Amino acid sequence: MATTTLMVRRRLLTRSRSSGGVKIGRPSFLWSLPAITFFALFAIVPLGVVAWLSLTSWDGIASPHWVGTANWSAMFSDPVFLKSFRITALLVGLGIVTQTPLSLLPGVWAAGYQRNRAILSAIYFIPLLMSAAAISIVWLSLLNPYFGLPRELHGVFGGGLFNGGFLFSSPATAIGVLTFVGMWQWSPFHTLIYQGGARAIPEVLYQAAAIDGAGRFRQFFHITLPQLRNTMITSIVLMLVGGLTTFDSILILTQGQPGTSTEATSYYMYVKAFQSFQFGEASVIAVVLAVFTTLVSLIVVRLSGWDKMRSTQEGI
Amino acid sequence: MPSGVASPPRIRLSTIVSKTFGEEESLTMMSSHRWLRRGAVTGAVAVAAGAALAVGGAGASGAKATASSSRPANQIQILAYGDAQNTVEKWAVQQYNNTAEGHKVKAILNTIPGANYQSKLQTIMSTSAAPDVFFNWGGGSIVQFQKAGLLMPLNSFFKQDPALKSSFLPSIMNAAKIGSNYYGIPMRGTQPVVLFYNKALLSQDGVPVPATWSQLLSDVSALKSKGVQVPIALGGGDQWPTLMWFEYLYDRIAGPNLVTNALNGSKSVWGTADSKKALGYIAQLIKAGAFGPDKSWDSVKFTAGQTAPMLINGIAAFELMGSWDYSTISSQGSTATGTAPPNGPGAAFVKAGKLGWAAFPSVPGGKGNNSDLAGNTENYYSVLATTRYPQAVADFLKIMYSPAFAKQELAIGNLTTTTNTPSLISGADATWLKWQYNLVNHAAHFQLSWDQAYPQTDTNAIHTAVANYFDSLSVSQFVSAMEGLKPAG
Repeated sequence: MATTTLMVRRRLLTRSRSSGGVKIGRPSFLWSLPAITFFALFAIVPLGVVAWLSLTSWDGIASPHWVGTANWSAMFSDPVFLKSFRITALLVGLGIVTQTPLSLLPGVWAAGYQRNRAILSAIYFIPLLMSAAAISIVWLSLLNPYFGLPRELHGVFGGGLFNGGFLFSSPATAIGVLTFVGMWQWSPFHTLIYQGGARAIPEVLYQAAAIDGAGRFRQFFHITLPQLRNTMITSIVLMLVGGLTTFDSILILTQGQPGTSTEATSYYMYVKAFQSFQFGEASVIAVVLAVFTTLVSLIVVRLSGWDKMRSTQEGI
Repeated sequence: MPSGVASPPRIRLSTIVSKTFGEEESLTMMSSHRWLRRGAVTGAVAVAAGAALAVGGAGASGAKATASSSRPANQIQILAYGDAQNTVEKWAVQQYNNTAEGHKVKAILNTIPGANYQSKLQTIMSTSAAPDVFFNWGGGSIVQFQKAGLLMPLNSFFKQDPALKSSFLPSIMNAAKIGSNYYGIPMRGTQPVVLFYNKALLSQDGVPVPATWSQLLSDVSALKSKGVQVPIALGGGDQWPTLMWFEYLYDRIAGPNLVTNALNGSKSVWGTADSKKALGYIAQLIKAGAFGPDKSWDSVKFTAGQTAPMLINGIAAFELMGSWDYSTISSQGSTATGTAPPNGPGAAFVKAGKLGWAAFPSVPGGKGNNSDLAGNTENYYSVLATTRYPQAVADFLKIMYSPAFAKQELAIGNLTTTTNTPSLISGADATWLKWQYNLVNHAAHFQLSWDQAYPQTDTNAIHTAVANYFDSLSVSQFVSAMEGLKPAG
C-alpha cells in the first residue's frame, strides 16, 4: 500500500518537473481577463464606491451629499469604533489560540489509517455542515440562564468563573461565549485542512525517523509540525481574515453587549449601516476594515515566508 | 444587493428557529410589529455576504422620484411586511380587485419577509420599483420619505371620502401625521405596552396587582421574600424592552410634553429635574432587584422566546411588554403549525386564566395622566406621491375601515382601531381585546415608542443609552446620550 502510493507520488513529481523545463507554456494575459473582469466588477468597483461613500452623508434614500472627511474625523474620535479594534483583536487572538491546537491534533490524528477514524471524523465534522446562524441560535438557547445549561449544571456555572450562569451579562464571559462558539463551529474546518496537510507528508520521513529511533512525540515535533508549516500558515490566515470579519455569531449571541464590550469592528459596521442608516460612517469602517485585513494577511504571508512558495518537501 | 441575498436564507432560518424553540408565533409576532425589533435571530442573516460589499453595492441612487407616467400601467403595487398576517392583506387586495375600479387598475400585493423590511423599502423607495402603497409604522419610519417628497398627503382623499378619516380613532390617526398633513391609514392593529403578570403566582404569594408605583415596589420586595427569583422579567439582551420602562416613567412623572418637546428638537429637556426624577425612579426598581441580580437581564432575550417561559413557570411575576406578548405567551412551547390554535404550556396557562394584565401603575405626584399609553400605535398604509392611479389607491384604502376587514384582522388577533371595532369583537380572547380597546380609546395620550418616533438613524443610540443606564445607573451618561439625538422634527 505504502509503496504504491509512494510510487505514484514519485511519478507525479517527475512529471511536474519535466513540464517546467525549457519551454514554459504559460498562457497569455488574455486568459486571466474573465477573472480580472469579475474581480474588478465585484471587488474593486464596490470598494471604490465604498471609499467614495465614506466621504458623503447618506441615509439610503436621499442622494448622498459630499461631506469631505467629516465621517473620517467623526469615526476616529468615536470611542466605540476605536475600542472595537481591541475587541476584534482579542476575538481573533483567542480564536487562533483555541482553534489551532483543537484542529491540528485531531487533523493529524484523522490523517492516519485507524479503523474508527472515518466514523469519528465524520461526527467531528458535523458542525461544519451547519449554518453559522443556526449554530449561534442553538447555543443561545442552550446558554439561557433560567432554562439552559447554566440552570441544569448549576454546580459548574454557578461560580464566579461563569458569572453565576449569566454568561451574557459580563464582558469576560460574553467574549468567552463568542470564542467557544467560534471554536466549536470552526475547528472542524481547520481540522480538515490539517488532515489534508498531514496526509501529504511522505511516509518515508516517518519510516526513516522510526529507524533512527524517534518515538511518537519526536516524530510529531520534528516531522509533522515542520512539514505542516505551510498548512498552518494557510489555516491561520483564514482564521485571521475570518476573525476580523466575524459577524453572525455576534449579531445573534451578544449584539455587541453587554454595553459595547463585544462590539467588534465588523458588527459595528453593520450597526452603523443597517440599524442607524449612516452609510457614510459605515463606509469609513468598511474601508478601514478592508485595508486592515489586507495588511494583516500581507504581513503574515511576508513574515512567514509563505509567499516564497518554498515546498516543505525540498530535498526529499 | 443586501436584501436580495438575505431573503432566502432568512426563510430557511426562521424554520430552524421555529423548530428549535417552537416559537414560530412569537417570533413572527415579534418581528412583524417593529422593524427595530429585528431579533438577533432574524437580523442575523440580513447581513449575509460581506457587509462591506453591501454598503457599496447598495449604490447611490438619488431620491429623484420617478414621474407617475413612467410607472407601470393599469396596476398599483401594494407592499406589506411579509409574515403570517399577510392573509388579511391578500384578502383586502382581492376585495379591491373585485370592484369596478379594480377591474381597470389591478392591485398587486408584494411582501418583504422579516426584519429586512425597512432597509429594503429604503433602497427601493426612490426607484421606479417603489410601491404605490406601502406598510409602515408611522412616525419616524416615514419622516424621511416625507422629507424627500415621496409621500402623498391624504387630505384630498379625506375630502372625497370623510369616512376614511372619521372611521378611525383620532389618537391613532395622529401618529401618522406630519405637520398638519395625514400620511397613513391604519391597516393592522394597535399594540399598547401593558403590564402582564402571572395571576396564579400573585395570588399564591398574596401580592396585589400594583395600581401605584409604591405598590409595585412593595410587590417586588414581597415576591423576593417569597423566593421569586426575578420579580419582573426583562429581555435586556434585546435592549428595546428596557426602553418601555423609560417610556412609561417619563410619561407618568414628566407628562407627555417632555418627549414631545424632545421630538420637536429641544435637547435641554433631558437634563431637567423631571427627567432626572424619572431616572431616579427607574434606579429604585433596579436597585430593589426587581429585574433579578445585577445585569442578569443582559443574558435574557425576548426575541429568543426566553421571557414567556419565565412568566409561565413562575420564575418571574411581571413583564412589561407590548400587547403581542399575549400571543407570544399563548404560543410558548406550542407545536401547532399554520392556523391551528397553539397547544403548548403557554396555551394552557392562558386558558386556565393564569395570565393577568394591567395598565402601567400610576405615579402619585407625577404630571402624566394615568390613562396615558406607550407602544405601537398602529401599522399604516402610506401612499407614494407619484402614484399613477390615485383613485384606485383611494378605493383600495376604503377597505381598511369596512367591518368585514376589521373582522378578518380581529380573527388573527389584531386589534383594529376603527370606531366600530368593539361591536365586532367576539370569541375566546374577547375580554382581552375589549380591555385593550378601552385602554386605547380612553388614553389621554398614546406615545409612539421612542425608537420609532425618532428617525432610524437614532434608534441604535436610544437602545444603547437605555441599556447602559440599566447597567451603570449613570444619569449624566444617559442625559448626554439623549441630548446627542437628532430628531427629525
